[in-house]
Amino acid sequence: MSDSSDESKARARALREEFRSSLADSGDLASLQAVRDRFLGRKAGALTSLLKSLGGLGEDERREAGRELNALKSELEAALQDAESRLQAGARETRLEQERIDITLPARPTATGWRHPLTVVRERLEDIFVSMGYEIFDGPEVDDDYHCFEALNMPPDHPARDMQDTFYLKGRRDILLRTHTSTGQIRYMLANPHPPLVRIICPGKVFRRDDDITHSPMFQQVEGLVVGPGISLGDLKGTIEAFLHTLFGPQYPVRFRASYFPYTEPSVEADLGCIVCGGRGCRVCKGTGWVEILGSGMVDPAVFEAVNARIGRTVYDPEEVTGFAFGLGIERVAMILHGVDDIRLFYGNDLRFLEQFGG
Amino acid sequence: MKVLLSWLREFVDIPVENRKLADDLTLVGLAVDTVESVGKDTLLDLDITTNRVDCMNVYGVAREVAVLYRLPLRPLEIAFAEAGPPSSEGLVVEIDAPDLCPRFCALVLDVRMGPSPAWVRDRLEAVGVRSINNVVDLTNYVMLEMGQPCHAFDLDRTTGRRLRARWAAEGEELRTLDGALRRLSARMGVVAGDEAPLALAGIMGGASSEVSDETRTVALEAAYWDPLSIRRTAKALGMHTEASHRFERGADPEGPLSATARIAHLLQKTGAGSTRPGRIDCHPAPQARRGARLRPSRSKTVLGVGVPLAEARRVLTGLGFTVGPDDGNGTPVGIPSWRGDVSREIDVIEEVGRHYGLDQIVSSLPGNAVIGGLKPWQAREREVRATLVGAGLAEVIQYAFVSEAESSTLPGVPVALENPISEEQGILRSSLVVPGLLSALRTNLRQGRRDVGLFEIGRVFAPADALPRETKRLGLVLSGNSRPAHWAEKARPSDFFDAKGIVEAVIRRLGVATPAWRSDGAPSHLHPGKSASGTRSGIDCGYVGIVHPDVARQFEIPEETVVAEIDLGTLLEDVPAATRVRALDRFPAVARDISVVVAGDHRAADLEATIRAEAGDLLRSAVVVDRYDRPPVPAGKVSLTLSLVFQHADRTLTGDEVQDAMARVIGALRSGGAEIRGE
Repeated sequence: MSDSSDESKARARALREEFRSSLADSGDLASLQAVRDRFLGRKAGALTSLLKSLGGLGEDERREAGRELNALKSELEAALQDAESRLQAGARETRLEQERIDITLPARPTATGWRHPLTVVRERLEDIFVSMGYEIFDGPEVDDDYHCFEALNMPPDHPARDMQDTFYLKGRRDILLRTHTSTGQIRYMLANPHPPLVRIICPGKVFRRDDDITHSPMFQQVEGLVVGPGISLGDLKGTIEAFLHTLFGPQYPVRFRASYFPYTEPSVEADLGCIVCGGRGCRVCKGTGWVEILGSGMVDPAVFEAVNARIGRTVYDPEEVTGFAFGLGIERVAMILHGVDDIRLFYGNDLRFLEQFGG
Repeated sequence: MKVLLSWLREFVDIPVENRKLADDLTLVGLAVDTVESVGKDTLLDLDITTNRVDCMNVYGVAREVAVLYRLPLRPLEIAFAEAGPPSSEGLVVEIDAPDLCPRFCALVLDVRMGPSPAWVRDRLEAVGVRSINNVVDLTNYVMLEMGQPCHAFDLDRTTGRRLRARWAAEGEELRTLDGALRRLSARMGVVAGDEAPLALAGIMGGASSEVSDETRTVALEAAYWDPLSIRRTAKALGMHTEASHRFERGADPEGPLSATARIAHLLQKTGAGSTRPGRIDCHPAPQARRGARLRPSRSKTVLGVGVPLAEARRVLTGLGFTVGPDDGNGTPVGIPSWRGDVSREIDVIEEVGRHYGLDQIVSSLPGNAVIGGLKPWQAREREVRATLVGAGLAEVIQYAFVSEAESSTLPGVPVALENPISEEQGILRSSLVVPGLLSALRTNLRQGRRDVGLFEIGRVFAPADALPRETKRLGLVLSGNSRPAHWAEKARPSDFFDAKGIVEAVIRRLGVATPAWRSDGAPSHLHPGKSASGTRSGIDCGYVGIVHPDVARQFEIPEETVVAEIDLGTLLEDVPAATRVRALDRFPAVARDISVVVAGDHRAADLEATIRAEAGDLLRSAVVVDRYDRPPVPAGKVSLTLSLVFQHADRTLTGDEVQDAMARVIGALRSGGAEIRGE
C-alpha cells in the first residue's frame, strides 16, 4: 500500500474521532446541524474536502480511498440521522410534558336535566305492562259522574263514594275531577264494543279532596283491565306477581288479602314484603312486614252490565267473559322505591328534591 | 273498629297466637291495623270495609274466626224472664212511613237506674265508649256486640206513650242528645211521640225523652232503618254516629229481634231492671229469605280453581248461609239476613274464595297473546321529554288547579271548581306557565338558586259544552345563566333564543316542520317586543318570549325570565312519513359570506327571504352567522353577516354561476335599502 493511501486512512480515522467527539457534544438540533455542516457541508465540510482531494491520487488508490471515505460518509450520515431522531423524540417528549393539563379541574358541564321521579316510575310501569302485551289508554282528567261512579257500580248515595272525596266543577254536580283512573275501564270498553279481548293500563292524574303528608289533592294512578273468556283470579294473581317481581325484584314475597271495591267482586288487595326491613317489621311497614301496594279484583258483572246498557246490546256478556282490574298509586311505588315519606314533595317543584333523581 | 279479645272469646275459642290471628283475619278481609295489650286483655283494631257492616261488631268477627279455625260459634244468651203488664199496654208503636222504617221492635222495661257493673263499663271504655248509665250502656254494649243500634226512651217523657216512625215535617225542630237544635226537612226520618219528634231516626236520640236518673220505665227501640234515608239525613245534618254508620251501610233486618232479647237478658243479668211481656214487632212487609245459586263451574271460572263442594259448604254454612243439595244446575244458597252485601252468585263465590284461601289459588297468566305497545303519540311524548332533559331542563308536575287571582293576565273564562280546597286552588289551569311555572321558578329562586330551567308536560282546560276541553301542552321557563358557571368560560344569561332553540329542537326531534314565528300575537303576559307567536300549517301552536315586566314583578322573578308554551296535541299525533334518503352530494359546495347593513328594525327573516328569492335553485342554505350594531356601524343600523352555500346535485359549479347569483342577491338587497359591506 502506498504512503498516500496510508495517509488518507489516517485522516479518515482522525476525522471519525473528531466527528464522534463533536457529535457527543451536540445536545440540540442546532448544534447537530453545525456538526453536519462542519463534516458533511457541501462546500466546506471536512469529509467533503477530503473526498475532493482524492483527485490527486492514482486511479487504484483513488478507488480504494473513495470507497473508504464514502463508507465513512454513510456512517456519519447514519449517526447524524440517529442523533437527530433521538433529539426530536426528546424534544417532543419535553413539549408534551409542558402541555400537561390539570385533569382534576371540574369538567365543563353538559346540559343535564331530570325527568320527574313520578315520570320515571310511570314509564317503568308502562314498560313492564307493555312487555306483557298491554296497550296504554288515556281518558279525560275531568269526567262525569257516570264514568267515574255510576258505571262502576257506585250509584248516587253509595257509601263507597265516601272513600273518595270528590272535586266538582262549579255549578255542575255531575261533572267532576276523576277520583280514580278506573274511568278508563268504562271509557275503553265503550270505545271498543267488539268481541272483547281487553288488555290495557290507564295511567293518569286523579284528584281527591285530601291534603296531608300521605295524601295529595292530585296524584297519579295506573289502572289496569284485562277481559276475555276464562280470565280468572289466578290470572290476576299471576299478573300482579309478575309485575311486582319485575318492578321490585323476585326476592320480595307478594300476598293477597280479601278486600272491597264496588266495581270488583271478589276484591283483593296485594301486599309486598317490606323492601326496607325485608319483612322483619319496621316503621315503614308499621311492624307488619308488609306494605300495601295495590287494589284489584275480578270485574264485577254489574260493570259489564252497565257498559252493555250504554252500548245498547250485550258485548261484554258476564256469562261469557270475565276480567280483572287493578289500580295502584304511582306515588306509593315511588315512595317505597326511593324512601320518600312526604307525598307533597313530588308536587313542590323544588329542584333540591327533583335533582336527586337521574334523568 | 276495636275488638277486645276476651269479648271475642265469649263466642269462639281462639286456637292461635294474637299475631297469627291478626294475620289470618287480615287475609280474609278483616284488616287488623294494630294489636295492643290492655291490662291482661288484648285489643284488636280492625279496618272493616264499608260493605261488611255485619263485621262491625264482636259477634260478626267471632263468626269469621269460627270459620277460619273450623270451630263452633257459641250462640248469644238471650233468655230472660218477663214481668209486669204487657208492653203493648204501656206503649203504642206505629210505622207511618214504611219506606223509612220497614221494621220497628220495642220493649217496655222497668228499670232501676244506676251505674253499670264494672265488667260492662270496662269493656265499653276499653273500646272507647263512655259509660253513661246502666240502661244506655246496655244499648251501646249490644250494638258493639251484635251490631244493632237501639235507643232507650224515657217512656214517661214520650208524649202520649207513643213511638211513631214518620218523616219529619218541613221546618220541624228537634234538640238532639248532643245539645244541638236541629232544623229538619221532610226527607228526614224521626221517631215522634203524639206530636213532636223525639229522636232523629237511626242517628241520635232527642234531649226531651232522654233517660235520666229519674227514669222508671224505658221504651226500648230496635228498628231497621232505610239505609239511603239515614245516609242522606246524616249527611245533610253533618252528623256521623255509631248508629248512622251502621244503618246507612245496611243493618240486619232481623237484628231488632235478637238485640231486644239480648238487652232484656243483660238487664236481668246486671240487675238493672225487668222486661214486660209481649215484644212489639211492627214489620208490615216481611221479606222472604234471599237466595242465590252457586254453580261449581262458574266458581272455577272466576277463581281459577275448583273448590270442593264440601269445603264450599263448610265455609258458607259457617258464615250463616244455608246450602241446599246440588240439583245439577248448581246449589241453591240461602243468604243470612245480616249479609245485605251478598245477593248474587258472584258474591257467594267471593265468600267461598276468601275462606278457601287466596293463597290456595294457583297463579297463572292470561292466555291469548295480544300485541300491546306504545302508540306513536306515546312514544313521541317520551322523545319530547328526552329532548328537554337533554337541553338541561328539569321536569316538574304541578297541580291542575291554580289561583284565579294569579291567573288574571290570562284571557278567557276559567273552569272553576265548586269545592276547591282553597281559593289558591280555585280554578283549573288554562296555562302551564301562568301561574304554574312562574311560581315554580319563584319557589326555587327563594331557595337561593340563580340558574333555573324547568319544563312541564300536562293538560290545560277550557270551558266547553259538556266536559271541559283538555289540551296537552309543553311549558318551559328559563332564568339566570344557560349553564352553570365554569372556570374556562364566561356564563351567559339565558335569553329568548335559548327558549326558541329548545322549542325548535323538540319539534325537529319529532320530525316535523318548525313553526313560522311572528312578532305579534303573543299573549299579554309577555314582553311585547321580545316575544313571538308560532303557527304551524296556519294554526296557532304557542309562543316564546320574555315575561312582561309587570308579570315579573307580580311573581317576584327576574325581568329577563324566558318562557315558552306549545300545544303538543297535533305535534304528537302528526307522525311524519318514514324518511326517504336523498343521494349524498357528489360535487363540492361553494360558500360565500355577505355582510349587509340595514335599518335596526329590519327582520333577519326578510333578508333571508330576499336572498332565497334571488339566489335561485343553486342556493342550498342562507344562515345569519353574525350580527353587530356598534360603531363603526351607524346608530340605528345593524350589520348582519349571512353565510350562503351554493351547490349543484349533478356537477361542479362554475365561478361565474356563483358570481352571477351573488350579483343578483346584492342587487336586490341594495334596492331594498341595504348597504353591502366589504364589497
